[in-house]
Amino acid sequence: MATASIAKPTSPAKKWGRGLPIARASLANTTIPIASGGAYAILIALLLGALAPSLAEVDIGAYLSSNVSTGILGGHITHLGGMTVILAIYLYSAFYGLLFGGIVAYVSGVAIPLTIENGTLDLALSRPISRTRYYLENWGAMLLAAVILSLLTVFASWFATLFVTHPDLDWKWLWITQGMQSAFLFFAVGLGMLLGSLSHASRPAGWSAVGIIALGYLLNTFGGLSDKYSWLLKISPSYYAPGIDPLVYHRLIWWDPGVLLVAGLVLGSIGLIVFNKRDLPTT
Amino acid sequence: MLTQQPAIVIERLQKSYGTIQAVKGISLQVQQGEIFGFLGPNGAGKTTTIRCMLDVIRPTAGTIRVFGWDAQRDTLSMHQHIGYLPGDVRLPGKLTGKQIIDYFAHLQGREPVLLHDLVARFNVEMKRPLKGYSKGMRQKIGIVLAFMCNPEVLILDEPTSGLDPLMQKTFNALLLDEQARGKTIFMSSHVLSEVEKVCHRVAIIRQGELVTVEAVETLRKKAGQLVTVEFGDAVAPGELERIPGVSDVTQSNGSYHLHVSGSMNALIQALSGHEVNRLLVEEAPLEDVFLKFYEVPAQAASVTR
Repeated sequence: MATASIAKPTSPAKKWGRGLPIARASLANTTIPIASGGAYAILIALLLGALAPSLAEVDIGAYLSSNVSTGILGGHITHLGGMTVILAIYLYSAFYGLLFGGIVAYVSGVAIPLTIENGTLDLALSRPISRTRYYLENWGAMLLAAVILSLLTVFASWFATLFVTHPDLDWKWLWITQGMQSAFLFFAVGLGMLLGSLSHASRPAGWSAVGIIALGYLLNTFGGLSDKYSWLLKISPSYYAPGIDPLVYHRLIWWDPGVLLVAGLVLGSIGLIVFNKRDLPTT
Repeated sequence: MLTQQPAIVIERLQKSYGTIQAVKGISLQVQQGEIFGFLGPNGAGKTTTIRCMLDVIRPTAGTIRVFGWDAQRDTLSMHQHIGYLPGDVRLPGKLTGKQIIDYFAHLQGREPVLLHDLVARFNVEMKRPLKGYSKGMRQKIGIVLAFMCNPEVLILDEPTSGLDPLMQKTFNALLLDEQARGKTIFMSSHVLSEVEKVCHRVAIIRQGELVTVEAVETLRKKAGQLVTVEFGDAVAPGELERIPGVSDVTQSNGSYHLHVSGSMNALIQALSGHEVNRLLVEEAPLEDVFLKFYEVPAQAASVTR
């Protein structure tokens, strides 16, 4: 508690400020990666729309139903046909977490170390800004970036239907599938925020987060190859965000996204504790 | 105006990184309305101390209080009343000067009442992206960021780094103006001549330990005077060295150069017995005094031997 008096300022300073400046600045830093992810999603959807009629005639059922394909896609497909199946394979399979989860994990990992590198962290924390607020605004900005990317992929799916004669997309189950993938993005944000809180260098933190996402994808792939390796599935975050089962077969394990949400929350919270406790470097 | 109640109190501050002790229990006080210089060689612990004051790094032991607020426990309250200039001003290149100033003004939560005056005073470029700024231009932005919200305490780490001589002079004038308005300024610097001009007191830190805290005026008296004498007659060997207060006597080009500490009276009386063609007396630069404190005692002893 302050006991000394302070010399009165010569001119009264008005309270001044608006919004969440840290969150806005952090979100601005994600523009290019998120826009790139969204553009890629639209590109995939455009290709799908263009190729859908041809792909529907291809008989690759044996290939699709193999364990290898199941592992790679993160789900079991018995036939290639219809808009929904193609979308499930090319956009909402395990590739979704690898690609878009990787993007989100990277920008989240970079968020705080970037402010160490560009000198704004010291200046920000010399203001009446707590480390908690600083971290939470960054976390919130990254979650918003994940939401934006999620909406972009839904938009891409809708965009693809414009090019297909009879799109058989069930929108209710598309949104449920997107919800599952968004839970994966939530996890990826928490992972990135934790790694960023530990690091003073942005690119190593970002790429470490991507590496863990990629590792999770590989665990999911190998786990699907054989029953002997099925235990690998349970430790892979990709396992808890299936895209094919809900979108194609309307099957869902309701607590799967809960696992990812809890994991993302725990990782992000640990990152907050680390960020509050550590000495912050100058570079 | 100086008052009894200190603005900044550092008590037994320690900071260790593993087995390395960066700051070894320093204690000092800075009075309200004072410009306080914090000097020392590279790696002495100046920036570490300043970053502990800001709670960017946490002390191993000891306390820091600014206007009674604990720097670690009352961070938000304290930071409402301070302005900070880092030793190396790095800023995101994508933003313009105006954008970065707006951003930090919002974070401060106070209107930047001094902004226009500072921008005009330092001729700050506002519209270009920061990636095109030179070091000096970024330093000026840093100065604006530190002063613009009219804080009561300024914590400045090497504030004139990268500034040209004209801007250094402008900055010194700003410091004196702010001090006249009652602000307290704590600054680290390597530019000893600047410190001499603006600071009331200085602390010198070396290898994590406080070597001295003294008023600049006291140091100035300790520095003594440099005297150059050209004699018209012969001077006996060792005669000048025997005069009380005289030291470091050298001779070159027919003139004697000597250092006088304290009163000049003994020297004047000695000179009165000679024919003096030329006599030049000037204040010894404080820099020499500072540098003596910078030296490690063993090194200083070997140099003087």
